[in-house]
Amino acid sequence: MSRRNSTPSKSLGLMTNRRAFLKTAAGAMAAPYVIPSSALGADDSTAPSERIVMGGIGIGNMGRGDLGAFLGRKDVQYVAVCDVKKGVREGAKGRADQHYSNSDCKAYNDFRDLLARDDIDAVHIATPDHWHVQIIIAACASGKDAFCQKPETRTLRENRLVVEAGRRYSRVVSGGSQRVLQDYRGVVNKCWGGEIGKVKSINVNVNPLSVPCNLAGQPIPDGFDWDMWLGPAPWAPYHPYRCSGSFNINGTSWRSFSDYSGGGMTDWGAHHFGGATFAIDVRELEPEEVIYNDEGGRKFLTFRYPNGKLLYHNRPNTGNMQVEGTPDEKVPAKTVPSYKGQGGICGDFIECVKTREKPFRDIAFAAHTMTVCHLGLIAYEVQRSLKWDTAGQEFPGDEEANRFLDRARREPWVL
Amino acid sequence: MRHQKLTGLALAGSAVLASSTAVAADKAEVDKAFETLKTYDWGADRKLMAPIDQAVVDTQDDAAGRKDLETRLLAVLAGGPSRSAKDYICRTLKTMGTAASVPAMAAMLADKDVSHMGRYALERIPAPQAAAALRDAVAKLSGALKVGVIGSLGVRGDTASVGALSGLLGDGDKSVASAAAHALGVIGDPQAGKALAGFAKKAPEGVKPAVADACLICAEQLLADGKKAEAIALYKALGGEDQPKHVRVAATRGLLAAAGKKD
Repeated sequence: MSRRNSTPSKSLGLMTNRRAFLKTAAGAMAAPYVIPSSALGADDSTAPSERIVMGGIGIGNMGRGDLGAFLGRKDVQYVAVCDVKKGVREGAKGRADQHYSNSDCKAYNDFRDLLARDDIDAVHIATPDHWHVQIIIAACASGKDAFCQKPETRTLRENRLVVEAGRRYSRVVSGGSQRVLQDYRGVVNKCWGGEIGKVKSINVNVNPLSVPCNLAGQPIPDGFDWDMWLGPAPWAPYHPYRCSGSFNINGTSWRSFSDYSGGGMTDWGAHHFGGATFAIDVRELEPEEVIYNDEGGRKFLTFRYPNGKLLYHNRPNTGNMQVEGTPDEKVPAKTVPSYKGQGGICGDFIECVKTREKPFRDIAFAAHTMTVCHLGLIAYEVQRSLKWDTAGQEFPGDEEANRFLDRARREPWVL
Repeated sequence: MRHQKLTGLALAGSAVLASSTAVAADKAEVDKAFETLKTYDWGADRKLMAPIDQAVVDTQDDAAGRKDLETRLLAVLAGGPSRSAKDYICRTLKTMGTAASVPAMAAMLADKDVSHMGRYALERIPAPQAAAALRDAVAKLSGALKVGVIGSLGVRGDTASVGALSGLLGDGDKSVASAAAHALGVIGDPQAGKALAGFAKKAPEGVKPAVADACLICAEQLLADGKKAEAIALYKALGGEDQPKHVRVAATRGLLAAAGKKD
């Protein structure tokens, strides 16, 4: 196999070089290289021609909320919606049309038709997780910025691909966990403020893991493009639990099933691990080892970062976001990064679309969080500790674990 | 009653199943699961396969145990089980299959119902026979199934398929031509780069975006490998007014990065 292979024989030095190239190339064009004609203003008097022109892909549940956040902005002109459920997309179109008192919003079943429009500057994506990277990369390749709900990726290989695509096309790509900044301020302020001294570790409790699905088929509802919902995932018969967008992870939602989600490990993990890695300031790093612990039948994980900091998953007798430090040894406070612009994480994205800065939840940070989630899933799957080559993006010398780096996509989808 | 353990590896807790209750696979339970697999279908309790799942984990350092499991999975597959059972077998072989599984997986590639699951295993089985089976299939398939196999060759980084993939750039099926371009970009060796650079200017409208994207992907790889001249050729191939602005900008960025690289 060649060096590009995501299976075991890939050259360890390759990704280092590749990342170095992308970094160099980004530096070569660090200044704004293109300003969409629509990206020129943000006040209440923003003319329609100067607004960020947006569309939404996957607009049930979380997408519905994101649509509302973007639709309510004076500096956004919302022109297109896409969903594989006819009723959902028509409802979203109606909402946009009512907001603007016109009928201009176009509704699509296939996201490729929406991305083919050259008048759209940016998209927000809130499909089930197994679709995220396929659509983000397609958006980047069509010259559009992208805001994607968490969990942003479904495999380790996808982490690398989505970051590279964003950098390749100089796109603003934001992950979608609003909780990373908003839910854990107390812990973040303690850590960044120096109150607990040198941070040694933090613990995250999230459950459950996703499981395989073997539900029997039922008739496909009218107006539901089931094949498109499945997309790159393996074919399976329709069942309402298989594709329900419920937030329950108990076998009654797609978040329960491993073809589409990592369960609590990724769904809540994107929030909690994202917040934890932000709090202990390792969001620019990836762990180089995950230790599979078994204490009297109680399984938990220890992620070890190159700087020695530890991140636990489900450590016994340890609270969620519980931090260990050296309180007697105060350290200087650091300025806590925050959103740009107004309007939370969606506002941060829009501001960065205008300025071409990196958003708070830049896709590289999001991918690093997802690395934690995916490494954890694989360690539980193979039930042993794993070494992770952060530069090579593989498990060095571990053929079995490397089989979990990615999974084949159902035709015609390729990455 | 407890039965003989399948192996001495008693790693407890399958993450995908029931992490708090799983124990090392029990031989009788594994036998029962294999018997169940013969009639397993959609709607059956997925936990019925848990003993096999655990046996796969337990045999990570047990080549003989793995060979036995693989042989038994292939035997059930040869018996013509349900689509759900085939799905389960392919998923399991993705994790632990060897060259011995390749013929059975390859035989599935032309079947639209299970082609993907054949690739699901073949794409991740490291044995070179898996890549060879995918290469053989490219010439025999058409349409979406061909696209899928081309994609898998790209993911595997199969340099041996570059010649065949280059020949598909001009395929009348635009989805095949686009997939071939993407796979060449992902493979990213000098021969792939040469094919893409030579085709970029003559790519038809429906294929041009995929070829441009593939050129950029390939060029990044070539530059990272120190193949500066080859990378520059690809970037220059995207410089015309026939390309959209964001592609030309990306190519310009690449040229700037290449200019900063030592020969």
